[in-house]
Amino acid sequence: MRLFAKPNYEFMKYRRFFITASLVLNVIGLGVFFTKGLNYGIEFTGGTELSLKFAQSPDLGEVRAALEREGLRNPSVTTLGDPAENELYIRVAAEGHTPDQEPAEAGAGEAGRDLTRRVVGAVRGDVAGKLDLNLADTRTITTTLQGIGVGTDEAARVAEAIRVHRERQGMLAGLQDLRGIQGVTPELARRLEEISIVGPVAIRAQNYVGPSIAPELRKKAVWAVLGSILAMLAYIGFRFRFQWGLGAILAVIHDVIVTIGIYSLTWKEFSLPVVASFLTLVGYSTNDTIVVFDRIRENLRLKGSTDLVKTINASINQTLSRTIITSFLTWIVCVALWLFGGEPLNGFSFVLVIGIIIGTYSSIYIASPVIIFWEWLFEKRKIGKPLGGISRR
Amino acid sequence: MKNFGWRAAIIIGVIGVSLFLMIPDSEKRKRGQWVNLNLGLDLRGGSHLVMEVVTSDAVAAESDTVASRISQKLKDKGIPFESIHRDGIQTIVLAGFPAERGSDVDTLISDTVSPNEWTQSRPAPNRIVLSMSPRVARFLEETAVEQCLTTIRNRIDQFGVTEPSIQQQGGLGQKATSRIVLQLPGVEDPSRVKDIIQTQARLEWKEMTYPPGIPEGGFMAPDTREALASMFGGRLPEDTEAYPQPPDVRAVAAGRGERTYWWPLKKVSGIAGADLRAARRTQDRMGRPAVDFELSPDAGRRFERLTRANIGKIMAIVLDGNVISAPVIKAVIASNGIIEGSFTREEADDLSLKLRSGALPARVNIVEERTVGPSLGRDSIRRGVAASLIGFAAVMIFMLIYYKGSGINATLALVINVILLIGAMSSLHATLTLPGIAGLILTVGIAVDSNVLIFERIREELGLGKTVRSAIDAGFKRVWMTIVDTHVTTLASAFFLFAYGTGPVRGFAVTLIIGLLASMFTAVFVSRFIYDLVLRGRTRVEKLSI
Repeated sequence: MRLFAKPNYEFMKYRRFFITASLVLNVIGLGVFFTKGLNYGIEFTGGTELSLKFAQSPDLGEVRAALEREGLRNPSVTTLGDPAENELYIRVAAEGHTPDQEPAEAGAGEAGRDLTRRVVGAVRGDVAGKLDLNLADTRTITTTLQGIGVGTDEAARVAEAIRVHRERQGMLAGLQDLRGIQGVTPELARRLEEISIVGPVAIRAQNYVGPSIAPELRKKAVWAVLGSILAMLAYIGFRFRFQWGLGAILAVIHDVIVTIGIYSLTWKEFSLPVVASFLTLVGYSTNDTIVVFDRIRENLRLKGSTDLVKTINASINQTLSRTIITSFLTWIVCVALWLFGGEPLNGFSFVLVIGIIIGTYSSIYIASPVIIFWEWLFEKRKIGKPLGGISRR
Repeated sequence: MKNFGWRAAIIIGVIGVSLFLMIPDSEKRKRGQWVNLNLGLDLRGGSHLVMEVVTSDAVAAESDTVASRISQKLKDKGIPFESIHRDGIQTIVLAGFPAERGSDVDTLISDTVSPNEWTQSRPAPNRIVLSMSPRVARFLEETAVEQCLTTIRNRIDQFGVTEPSIQQQGGLGQKATSRIVLQLPGVEDPSRVKDIIQTQARLEWKEMTYPPGIPEGGFMAPDTREALASMFGGRLPEDTEAYPQPPDVRAVAAGRGERTYWWPLKKVSGIAGADLRAARRTQDRMGRPAVDFELSPDAGRRFERLTRANIGKIMAIVLDGNVISAPVIKAVIASNGIIEGSFTREEADDLSLKLRSGALPARVNIVEERTVGPSLGRDSIRRGVAASLIGFAAVMIFMLIYYKGSGINATLALVINVILLIGAMSSLHATLTLPGIAGLILTVGIAVDSNVLIFERIREELGLGKTVRSAIDAGFKRVWMTIVDTHVTTLASAFFLFAYGTGPVRGFAVTLIIGLLASMFTAVFVSRFIYDLVLRGRTRVEKLSI
């Protein structure tokens, strides 16, 4: 089976059109990035994010209003995954809480604990000093049980049973659940009901990043991207030629700008794993470009080719089936991640689903035309004349 | 074919070792894992905390200790002085001693501290300013981080978290920082752990400065700072500071009193950071929870002297800047004592744990926290594995349809690739995180790319009319450099991810790096071997299933 038997498309003939189109796309991408910006995650802004599971289907507007009543400005509240699961994702940036609400001496840690507590408090409502069985950890449940006269071992056993039950169900639905738990006698259940409540919310995950660490994470992310791009430029410059490296890098920058523009439009959260996915995209796109470059070099060397444009065009055609097949396979894999990987990998895989398409295009229409352009600009040579120098290495 | 046996041995050996490394140890088997992979907290559930040590605290504490020692010696020698206090974090000001005894004071100070560590200056005849050298300050800051690390480790061990990991942040191209990273698998609610870690547990006994005109038995702590100051005529003496006694939690719950009381206590502690030998929960005379402590012999002697000098007076027990209780000293106390506050059993337990494990030399602030509930972790694994399997299956089906017989070759190489990857990750104790699963599945994409490159090239060579054997030969040879180039560039970006990434992102980089190395082995070495194996013994090969 063959998709492209003997492809012979004149890719380079249309290079001016595609380069212009790409330039326009890049300008739009940059425009979107600078005007709309990115929906930065707490790694970059500092703040708290929580995944909460609710007993009843939560009203997003109400939750948001409750948070704002607490003085938490601009909270981000969205449904997580399947709406039937009653899960919400809440994010509050560090700027969202006013500094005068806490003593000046309290450090960032206090602020974080405070922020999380305030979010949960606002969403859950008052518990009147009772033990919330949906939020308490096993140790707290154990000591509370000991406090009402349950023996140490039994208390630990019951607390563990409550935790396991809670985990299996996602959360406890009500105090009546206690009676179904192994080891909880009716007498114990009655006494637990007196001192505890089953709150409407359980925490599935919580993250906090202090304002002091956020700029550092931002800086590291920028360094990682710049460093890897420069390392690749150096390697390609060493293996091929400087201008070829330049072509590869421009292709990569093109991919990142367009993808980041699209990402900005979707307003998905820009978190650390998403930075990782951009780096993966950088690696992937270069990968693609190098396969083409390798072929160009081989053709120049073998045939002592006479025409740069023709050679590049032939090389792209020769590697075309490989380019399409690999891109398609990697793309399929990323689509699988995107569709089935669950919420935490959503932004990550989305970048690759978009980026692979753009990266495949750019390895054909950005990287190679840059070489032609360079040749035309600096080598003072009419394209079409023999290119001796290239075959030496 | 050349070295056929050797190549077979290498491949079988590598697969065997990888499979062996994949066998889970008993601990992981108990958790229901069937491969020996360390799961990250985002998959297992647990808490990841990053704490910053406020190193300036340690410097300030050292200044306090020096001030306290000088003050004691001045008293012993009978040299009167007005006040001695710390100014800023590394300066001590001694004021109001008789100018004619200046030389005595000088000798006393140089006996107490080395001039290399503290530089002295005298802005007025009866005033001395001591400044700590930057070298000493830096040393104190570094030790503070180490001590915090040890103390936190002690506390976590006693708290009973399984497999905690406590490390100083930094390493591998990053310089050591004053940050501590704590990983607590299985801890669903870190608030109590955080409380235990963050409390400095700095226990101090402080003498009280009696306001003028108030008899020793007649002092009542006022409930505002201002009221306290007015007892001293509007301004506290220079060596005295107002310390709060926060309201009793249970009294507040019961609706009685929510007031904070303020005590005028000496800035320099009678005993600061005294080393305790033991501490445990006990009961006071009324049967309420209290904490029983035992001092080390040296601290005991100092304590004895201090209590003897203060019989009939109030001495406050201050924990992390808050007055816990302010009893009147009735008798000389040597090495054993009891702290009565209004503790719950739990609080008394936690306080004794903190005291036992030693005080933190500085405050620690939590700058980053990630907690994933175990149920979410299980969900993530389930979804991640499902997505991987679907992606993997799609790739294999395509390869089998498109390349037929050679597709089997590629599929085998892919499966071996995954086995190698998991084996290597197990042996390196690398942690599989959620982005790591994504890295794993991307590796599949990269590995299959190498196979596609080779197969396409072989097809081309066959198209040029070469025989099967020489087409395979040429395909592998020509593509080898391309594979090296693509892998090295991707390795370069993965390396930067590893060096600058944090937490889960690092996990992604690790998976990617190992996967890339494995893919070079499988796509080239293993695939080639499989072709040779199939074609072995046949003299003339007419057709290749590709």
